[in-house]
Amino acid sequence: MTPAIEFRGVQKNFGPTEVIRGIDLVIQPGEIHAMIGPNGAGKSTLFNLVTGRYHVSAGHIALNGEDITNRAPHDISRKGLSRSFQVTNIFHRMSVYENVRCAMLWNLGYRYKFWQSVRNKRDLTERTDEVLAQTGLSSRSTVLAGLLSYSDQRALEIAITIAGGANVVLLDEPTSGMSSAETEQAVTLIRDISATRTMVIVEHDMGVVFDLADRISVLVYGKIIATGTPAQIRANTKVQEAYLGTDAEP
Amino acid sequence: MEVFVFSLFNGVLYGMLLFLLASGLTLIFSMMGVLNFAHASFFMLGAYFAYQISQPLGFWSALIAAPILVGLLGAAVERYMLRPVHRFGHVAELLFTFGLAFVIEELVQMVWGKVPVPYDVPESMNITAFAWQGLDYSAYRLFMLVISVGIFVALFFGLTRTRIGLIIRASLTHPHMAAALGHDVPKIFMWTFGVGCALAGIAGVIGGNVLGTEPGMAIQLGPIVFVVIVVGGLGSLSGALIASLFIGILNNMAISYDFSLYPIFKELGVERNVEGVLADLVNLTTGSIAPLLPYLLLVLMLIFRPRGLFGMRDV
Amino acid sequence: MPDPRKLGIGALIVALLIVLPMMISSSFALSVMNQIGIAIIFALAFNMLLGQGGMLSFGHAVYFGLAGFVTAHVINGMHVDAFPYIPVTLIPLVGGIAGLFFGIVVGFVSTRRAGTAFAMISLGFAELVTGLTLIIVFFFGGEEGVQTDRWVREEWFGITYGPDIQVYYLIAAWCVIAAILMYALTRTPFGRMSNAVRDNPERTQFIGYNTHRLRWLAFALSSFFAGLAGALHAINVEHVGFETVGLGQSAVILIMVYIGGTGHFAGPILGAILITLLNAYLSDVSPAWYLYLGLIFVLIVMFAPGGLAGLIMMHEPIRRTAPYLLWQMAPAYGAALGTSLVGLAGAIGLIEMIYFRSTTVSLDSALVLYGIELDTGDIWPWLICAALGAAGGYGCKMTYPRVAEAYSAAMHEARALVTT
Ligand SMILES: Nc1ncnc2c1ncn2[C@@H]1O[C@H](COP(=O)(O)OP(=O)(O)OP(=O)(O)O)[C@@H](O)[C@H]1O
Ligand SMILES: [Mg+2]
Repeated sequence: MTPAIEFRGVQKNFGPTEVIRGIDLVIQPGEIHAMIGPNGAGKSTLFNLVTGRYHVSAGHIALNGEDITNRAPHDISRKGLSRSFQVTNIFHRMSVYENVRCAMLWNLGYRYKFWQSVRNKRDLTERTDEVLAQTGLSSRSTVLAGLLSYSDQRALEIAITIAGGANVVLLDEPTSGMSSAETEQAVTLIRDISATRTMVIVEHDMGVVFDLADRISVLVYGKIIATGTPAQIRANTKVQEAYLGTDAEP
Repeated sequence: MEVFVFSLFNGVLYGMLLFLLASGLTLIFSMMGVLNFAHASFFMLGAYFAYQISQPLGFWSALIAAPILVGLLGAAVERYMLRPVHRFGHVAELLFTFGLAFVIEELVQMVWGKVPVPYDVPESMNITAFAWQGLDYSAYRLFMLVISVGIFVALFFGLTRTRIGLIIRASLTHPHMAAALGHDVPKIFMWTFGVGCALAGIAGVIGGNVLGTEPGMAIQLGPIVFVVIVVGGLGSLSGALIASLFIGILNNMAISYDFSLYPIFKELGVERNVEGVLADLVNLTTGSIAPLLPYLLLVLMLIFRPRGLFGMRDV
Repeated sequence: MPDPRKLGIGALIVALLIVLPMMISSSFALSVMNQIGIAIIFALAFNMLLGQGGMLSFGHAVYFGLAGFVTAHVINGMHVDAFPYIPVTLIPLVGGIAGLFFGIVVGFVSTRRAGTAFAMISLGFAELVTGLTLIIVFFFGGEEGVQTDRWVREEWFGITYGPDIQVYYLIAAWCVIAAILMYALTRTPFGRMSNAVRDNPERTQFIGYNTHRLRWLAFALSSFFAGLAGALHAINVEHVGFETVGLGQSAVILIMVYIGGTGHFAGPILGAILITLLNAYLSDVSPAWYLYLGLIFVLIVMFAPGGLAGLIMMHEPIRRTAPYLLWQMAPAYGAALGTSLVGLAGAIGLIEMIYFRSTTVSLDSALVLYGIELDTGDIWPWLICAALGAAGGYGCKMTYPRVAEAYSAAMHEARALVTT
């Protein structure tokens, strides 16, 4: 089976600082892969490298077997990889409905068309309604995105990420800043959308991680110190020393 | 040879004048993210203030007082007009300074009329400083060069050797850090804007009597200064310096040598007696296209290096 | 299906456009209406960039003007059979294509950057083209510009475009067509993504769009409509001069659009009508007209960034839920208007007197203001105007907070009505 994402010797320096120091990792198709590690370990940077936001300093990244190293973000997105952002990154002056609809235009083949209206298009309307319902935003669809509450904005962040129907989805701390009730809803949502997709998720909430993930990778100072099933990670002494010992659930 | 030396001299002078404007503009832009469209208008005000002050009090008082007045005016504009616009974003700020430039030009016409005012080089310096191979170099030009280089040096030391310079340089590269370190950012903004305008004012005082003091002077020089900072890379002081000098020298060389462009066309197989668009082009000389050179440079820069010479942040 | 209310309004506008010239007889008024029609197209085109695409251009007149020159040459070419005949009715399309062509070429380079850099680049290109007008005399006609004669031959229904009224209908028809097309564009995938790249260019990349392509397309399409307006301008005044590509022309369109409001489709239309009217009727009366225009613009930027359309639309929720609340607000608004007028009268008096003294050669002639002859050498007019200005200013300071209060009270009540 070709891996969904494959990292081979990936490195990233910002000037003299080495932030990612050689990553080799395979994300299997269909799995939920959690990425954990202390603050500043390089998790978001890794996402930025896969999605083309930053260029790698060395190494290669492949998506579904195809090399995507240092390709432009829009190029990579069109190949079926989509991401959410740790810091909410939505279209503030457009309505929730518009946000979601825009996010699927490219993948549904509408591209740069300027001779065709977006209104009354069955595929767009149905898919937008579906994504809104799935993310619990149906009742807010006419609200300006900038005016949403924080947790609704986080939900919209996910809605934009999944709207295009990408088959590989990267979520960067989807539950950060949420209350426990909101987190629970988010977990249901994430499990729901992961049913048909490969998913990589960065998360600090260990409850969420061990609940959702098929496999977990532990990133410390730009290196992966362990990869395995939740049980293996829990049992791993290196991880316990480096990370879980202070931070995780008992 | 003497033509070369003299036009190099004049080019450096013009370049330094551009840099006086471009440096203030860059400082303001890097700190506040605002491109001050009215920057050349403060240059114009510098010239007009100097004219007005020098009438009763003489040039030397004007040299001191006019830039201070322009600086205070700039600080006041920042404090009472620009700051409220800040919350609407950078495009609104740019639009505000654009409107300000428009209004200042009209106000200048209202107060001083539409025709140039007789702001002249002071008598004492209207003499030949040195002559070489039959070409004179005026004392005033030498003085302009001394002033602008002096200010450049002062700016350089101010930025590299003083505490406030350190804070300013820190804000150039890390715009949000200064606030995090507990500096009174609004106040720093106000005085940066004021000092930037004062620099433009100085350029107006020493340049107004050579370039001509009239209501159109801002819109003539402004776009060239914007080209300078885009070519140098938005936010880069060294880029602004190099671009200023380059454009200054290029401009003066193009004018004093006044090469014909015909050989190039001939090389391309176009003869002097062609008709149509080319007829206008074959007889051109570098002198006649000198005013366009900065903009051609801009286009070339955009094609080959969209971020400019030293541009880092994409803005 | 377009909704019936909008169709009704559209039909009303078209009917009005048809009968309007029949009701007025002055040829000056007709020429002003022609200018308004052209300004509306140009303003809407400009707002495709500024309002919808988030690109601030200081040089969009380049595409307006270049298309005007091309149009003039094409018509002149038709007169001497150097160019195949195209009905003048369709010539605006030629201008549009010219605008599109220049927009595609220049836009490819200039839209590589957004934000402030884009604005500066647009300025640079404007200066470049302005400089070229004096060099490439063959195309631009140098200082004199290019003359043309729109009467080529008789077209459908005996139209010759000799009489101004026929040109009026030509402009009105193209104005309606262009406005409809530009409105339709806002609802296409391109139009929606144009908003997206304005709001958040970074995220736009991560949903599959090349931001440079989007901006480039917006720029090219906007240049098409600017070119259409430029062609109509060439037909209307039968002359295109170097100033049509210049910074002044670009500045005026920017000011027009921003005062009208960039956030609503109708904003630029409002701005185009208002500013063209004021320009037509004030620029001869007052030497300070451009100062007033600049001041209005600065005030709008500072206090009403949504423009006039934004101010009007602020009241839309109240009007929709409870129109009677608007009447309750009227006294506060009226008081503010009154004090503003007093203050304005004083300020305008002072400005006009200063202008008069600094620009009039012989001070013997008197300044006529508000129908009164003023002796600017006397102290009284100055004192009176200063007093009016001060009183108005003080009054505004008292009445403006009332307006804000009345507005928020009404909004509050309207909101309460909605929730119950
Ligand atoms: N653009 C950049 N320039 C310089 N340094 C950067 C840049 N982006 C990230 N870094 C540095 O790289 C390191 C890793 O950052 P990253 O955001 O990837 O961490 P993270 O694992 O996502 O942390 P967190 O859990 O806090 O989100 C940090 O030290 C950060 O300061
Ligand atoms: Mg992170």
